[in-house]
Amino acid sequence: MSQNNSRRDFLLSGLVASGVVTGCATKSNVFEQSFDEQVKPSGKMVKLLSVDGEVIEVDEAYLKPIPEMPTITNEEERIGIPGRKFVMVIDLSRCKSLKKCQAACDYAHHLHPDINWLKIYPMQDAEQTAPYWQPTNCMHCDEPPCVKVCPVDATFKRQDGIVLIDSERCVGCRFCMAACPYSSRIFNWEAPGVSGKIASVPYSCEKSIPQLKGTVGKCDFCPDRARENKLPHCAEACPNGVFFFGDLLEDSVTNGTETYRFSELIKDKSGYRLMEDLGTKPSVYYLPPVNRNFPFENKDAVVA
Amino acid sequence: MKPLLKPKAMKMKHIYKNLIIILGFLPIALMAQKTEKENLVVGVRYFNNNNKTHHLVFKTKSKVNGKFKNIPDIQLAVYITSDATKANLIGTITTNDVGDAVLLIPPAAKTEWVKSPNQTFVAVSTATKQFDESRGELAITKAKLQIDTVEGKIVNAKLVALIDTVWTAIADVEMQLGVKRLDGVLSVNETPTFTTDSAGGTTAEFKRDSLPGDSKGNLVLVASVLDNEVYGNLTAELSVPWGSKFSHISNFDHRTLFARRGHSPIWLELLAYSIVVAVWGIIIFLILQIRKIKQLGAV
Amino acid sequence: MENLAKQKIIEDLLPQKFGKQGTIWVIGLLVLCSIGFYAYCRQLYYGLAVTGMRDYASWGIYISNFVFFVAISLVGSLITAVLRLSDVHWSTPLTRIAEIIAVSAITFASLIIIVDMGRPERFYNLFLYGRLQSPIIWDVIVISTYFIISLLLLYFPLLPDLKIMIGFKERNGKWLQKLYVFLGSFWKNTPAQFKITDKAINILAITIIPVAFSIHTVTSWLFATTYRPGWDSTNFGAYFISGAFLVGSGGVLIAMYVFRTHYKLEKYITDMHFDRMGKVVVLLALLYLYFNVNEFLVPAFKMKKSEEHHLLGLFTGEYAPIFWFAISTAMIIPILILIFKKGRKPKAAFVAGILVVVGSWFKRYLIVTPTLLHPFLPMYDVPASYKHYFPTWEEWAIAIGSLAGALLVITFFARIFPIVPIHETIIETESNENETHL
Repeated sequence: MSQNNSRRDFLLSGLVASGVVTGCATKSNVFEQSFDEQVKPSGKMVKLLSVDGEVIEVDEAYLKPIPEMPTITNEEERIGIPGRKFVMVIDLSRCKSLKKCQAACDYAHHLHPDINWLKIYPMQDAEQTAPYWQPTNCMHCDEPPCVKVCPVDATFKRQDGIVLIDSERCVGCRFCMAACPYSSRIFNWEAPGVSGKIASVPYSCEKSIPQLKGTVGKCDFCPDRARENKLPHCAEACPNGVFFFGDLLEDSVTNGTETYRFSELIKDKSGYRLMEDLGTKPSVYYLPPVNRNFPFENKDAVVA
Repeated sequence: MKPLLKPKAMKMKHIYKNLIIILGFLPIALMAQKTEKENLVVGVRYFNNNNKTHHLVFKTKSKVNGKFKNIPDIQLAVYITSDATKANLIGTITTNDVGDAVLLIPPAAKTEWVKSPNQTFVAVSTATKQFDESRGELAITKAKLQIDTVEGKIVNAKLVALIDTVWTAIADVEMQLGVKRLDGVLSVNETPTFTTDSAGGTTAEFKRDSLPGDSKGNLVLVASVLDNEVYGNLTAELSVPWGSKFSHISNFDHRTLFARRGHSPIWLELLAYSIVVAVWGIIIFLILQIRKIKQLGAV
Repeated sequence: MENLAKQKIIEDLLPQKFGKQGTIWVIGLLVLCSIGFYAYCRQLYYGLAVTGMRDYASWGIYISNFVFFVAISLVGSLITAVLRLSDVHWSTPLTRIAEIIAVSAITFASLIIIVDMGRPERFYNLFLYGRLQSPIIWDVIVISTYFIISLLLLYFPLLPDLKIMIGFKERNGKWLQKLYVFLGSFWKNTPAQFKITDKAINILAITIIPVAFSIHTVTSWLFATTYRPGWDSTNFGAYFISGAFLVGSGGVLIAMYVFRTHYKLEKYITDMHFDRMGKVVVLLALLYLYFNVNEFLVPAFKMKKSEEHHLLGLFTGEYAPIFWFAISTAMIIPILILIFKKGRKPKAAFVAGILVVVGSWFKRYLIVTPTLLHPFLPMYDVPASYKHYFPTWEEWAIAIGSLAGALLVITFFARIFPIVPIHETIIETESNENETHL
């Protein structure tokens, strides 16, 4: 256990029993309860040294997350994380198009060099209106038009609001790409060209790696990281804190340093969603590009 | 307009790639023996989790062209006290693909840990082809963060540190007081951070009314000191029944056009299946007619 | 006298061996098919990256070819069912031509859809994991249904002809004879059997009309169920069906001319047939023109922001040459030719038929691709090649190969079976003679 070389960060904060107020020595086994109602003891105990210098035993399940994440079955991946409804808020006033988000996403998902799941569009709604950068990933719509048209359940809406793709099911008909008004779906025209280590990783829809030739891909909201209480790669990588991620049912979003009550943030800053008139009900909200932190500078200059 | 890579071009590219890799590694391999290797930085952070367990987080990175880059797959030997001898070894770990590694403080650290209020952790990286052995060090003072509530939804937090043998209140330390949420801590009111007074305490009013909690309406309050130079990272948690009861009606199992297979709307199923049954009924009837013709011909 | 006429009809209409021309034609088609097959093997190996399609233009000429095939297959229902049910008898010699066009086109429509798939080896997923909500599943259901009904509609009227052909054992050769016996040895020309087939053909004629409407309406829904400019239309089903009848009738005009001249069927496929088919094509072209005006004028009048680039691209922009070429060759010029009595003579009608079919093929291309290249959000952050679409040689080869394949199926069918129904022609002549006698 202590020699763990897992790639996961440990967040052990959910360890303690309710009622333990201070660090006074409470020698009874305080680890039998967890605040998280979902966690059930695994029965596998781990010996650790406490802050008070005592040797204690902790149920592995309460080390959060469990050091070795259990493999999630395809069935569980299709149902999603219970009691969650993931939501993202993108603050347009902070975006400078540094593309750190894109680079982190591309790197983490081992995408083909031509492919980006996350694009930062130079937007200008009309000639006289202000230009701004608009990072756009999958909207994880609540009434997703892409899922409606999928003939084989290869893309699906989960109970936690995430729209995922099962690349091992996808037949590559690309109907979902035509159906998505946000152009957020991409196709692996070629194999992504990943190295042996990643290529041999067993495919998982939650990790979305490795991408498979002849199938559709898109932003997955990093559910594998959400299971470990981690922000999506884009949110973690952004130096300007543009991306806020959170749980609508907890009414909270965070960019890693700032945490806001979602309902207040959206109300205060007049948040909106893209193409509301289409009735897709996106899970990604935008905060308008007012009082921008950076001037708009487009090196490419040509706005399509 | 054209394919991404014409197959021939693709092959050529692979050849080039291999060539570049070979040519690229030659000088490195040669240099490795003679000149200095690149400099590896090993970062160490200490985390006290609710005054129960504690762990260390490591980061291995290196400066490439003036920018830090995370270095994966570095083996680290972790020691308690700055004396990096086998007796003080508390674990060996390897950093992951973004250069991170975590070590929970194991029972092996007990003898050293109980000795002194001030502790030092050392991580020594194993030399690789690219990097020499490198060392990261962190000194901390044992501290505890305590959290409590007062009637009227007031949150109290107190920071004490072990000075000699006495738990002493620590003033002027910045901390967060908030509610635990997915990936983050939502401050209990509009103030983002709080600072301890001369008694080591800080007080905040909880103003997040009807914030969703668990099914019983419980919220987890969190007090946390982040990356303090002397005390490291400290958190204390407390469950309070201040939230609204969690209720969520999921429409996951509803029959909709965007639901999974087997969950299509009833009107669609009725329509589709009745049409299919009607038309294929006719087709089967006609195929039976062919049989009838055959029987008539056989007579 | 009557027997003589009957003998003559049978002799005229029996399938004939390929002559020199026929052999060259078949070899030519086989070569095109093999090139297409080779191109497909490359596509299987290297993936869809060998095509010109990219993330924006994610559907290309495979899908427009698919729409074309589905469209042309609709003619089977028009000639055999609609005209039959309205008691029009002049079309009798054309029914089998129309039906075999329908069967071969629908076969290649299914094949080309598999060609378009990124993972053709997972085709079975459509049956294992089919989602009833998806219009693609509707298409799979309705196309397989239409295929079976078309086959039956080909088979029932063939039974009496099979009996006639079984009589020519020496002429047929071993294999064909075996085939004929297998398919129709039980046919004894008894009134009871005729009663069943007449009833079956009537049922089929009624059933095939809604099914035919469904296949092309559902195909149009593959586009109309999305939000895209140019596709987001409530008019799409009717628009597609009218276009489908037009291209199918154009195809029949071509086939009529080719079979007539090649098999010397001037007595059976007469000037009268060209005249009447020509009129049908004019009517259908006008109808399709009407739907085109409807489909383009209304959005152009409003010029919504999302539609603007798409429409201007078609009217005056980069697609304008193809757009106006398609409109004029598929509709306007054929109307101008066929509206005159002289234009409905076989040769002129044949030319008009070719124009209709070629123009319609490009029309399908314009329905599919320009829309995809006008997404709601700008095309950005992609390699330059993603912003345009031009088919690669592999795509052309596969598309042309599939067209050649469809023609090959029709050619072999005409080699094996009488392309003009013998039995029905005899009945028609007899009843005509009876009428004149009376």
